[in-house]
Amino acid sequence: MSQLTDEELMRKVQGGYMVEGPEDMTEGYRKALRVQLTVQADTELMSAPSYWMAARHAPSTNTQVSAHAIIQDELAHANIAYRLLEDIGESKERLVYGRQPYEFKHPYGFDQPLDNWAELVVATGFFDRAGITLLSDVHENTSYAPLKRALVKIGMEETFHLRHGEVWMRRLAKAGGEARELVQRAVDWMFPMTIEWFGLPDDMKRHSGQLDFKLKGLTNDQLRQVWMASTVPLCEELGLDAPAHWDEDKSEYVLDYPFPCQYDAVEKHWAFDEGEISWDAVFERWKKRGPMNEIYVESVQRSRLDVQRWLTA
Amino acid sequence: MRESVYDVFTRKERGDRLQHVGYVDAFDDETAKVYAWTTYSEEKWFEMCVVKRVNVLPVNRTDGLFVEAQDSSHD
Repeated sequence: MSQLTDEELMRKVQGGYMVEGPEDMTEGYRKALRVQLTVQADTELMSAPSYWMAARHAPSTNTQVSAHAIIQDELAHANIAYRLLEDIGESKERLVYGRQPYEFKHPYGFDQPLDNWAELVVATGFFDRAGITLLSDVHENTSYAPLKRALVKIGMEETFHLRHGEVWMRRLAKAGGEARELVQRAVDWMFPMTIEWFGLPDDMKRHSGQLDFKLKGLTNDQLRQVWMASTVPLCEELGLDAPAHWDEDKSEYVLDYPFPCQYDAVEKHWAFDEGEISWDAVFERWKKRGPMNEIYVESVQRSRLDVQRWLTA
Repeated sequence: MRESVYDVFTRKERGDRLQHVGYVDAFDDETAKVYAWTTYSEEKWFEMCVVKRVNVLPVNRTDGLFVEAQDSSHD
């Protein structure tokens, strides 16, 4: 552990100093990095069962292969992020196999079922773009060198995922009829889901140290804008309705619905007509987790103890 | 199931440098090769090698992850 104070390390990293390992960290830095890496690792990990259970809807052997290639990438990314956590004193074994489903830190979007091929491709188009938006910012700005290096690979692969999503969204939207309707329905629930993913607006954000320690560069609202700047034009190009538009006066994207608002996970429906709710109500919904939370976590953990027992018998 | 850390080195094209691209945990050398090949599959590598971290001998530093690996191998 470094002898510096948090403030001294903050000043150093703001000046370009790169942290290489625990020996360079303060406890404050380690904690902020641990929170960031846990969210990253859990998100990559839980995207896997979510995509995996949806991959059975793939319409051909080729698309089965591409869907599973995405899942393989996500698992590798999760493994890399947990490995980085191990370097700073966390146990990968405990994090993956020793936690209850509600203790995982992935976004609420990956607690939802993906019920058809259209939902899977919009998920890769929207959720993976959110992943790239967040991780590109980290890659560009992080002061933690091992993470910066790891993100080269992760960025390349996430780009492939979102291209895959976009190509298929375009294909289904162009086909019209039921295919188009299914894509639109997926956009209807996944667009606000991804917007919410970026978290509290900046004027309410609690101080986390992630910006001060240069673990990221952009704020939540800035990241939301980056995501919309590519997603809204894509939807417009495909003739899909997305509940946001470019506001000339404000020079930014503006949402066309009350934010945040309530979500009915069974109906996959956002209650725009019920108006804005508090962020406390959002946190409460997140805390309860979504309908697939236990099923997804169980699918990752289920064989571990059995196989361990066979091996040590 | 005790795993060891293996560092992964790759060369993208003939003539390129052999670069450190990451690391994996594995039970033994054979599984380390498989994990490395499937985890770092972002390129069609011309060459990939894995090195058990305890076999990487630090030359100038007295702290850091490579030194820690040496220390823990003597436990």
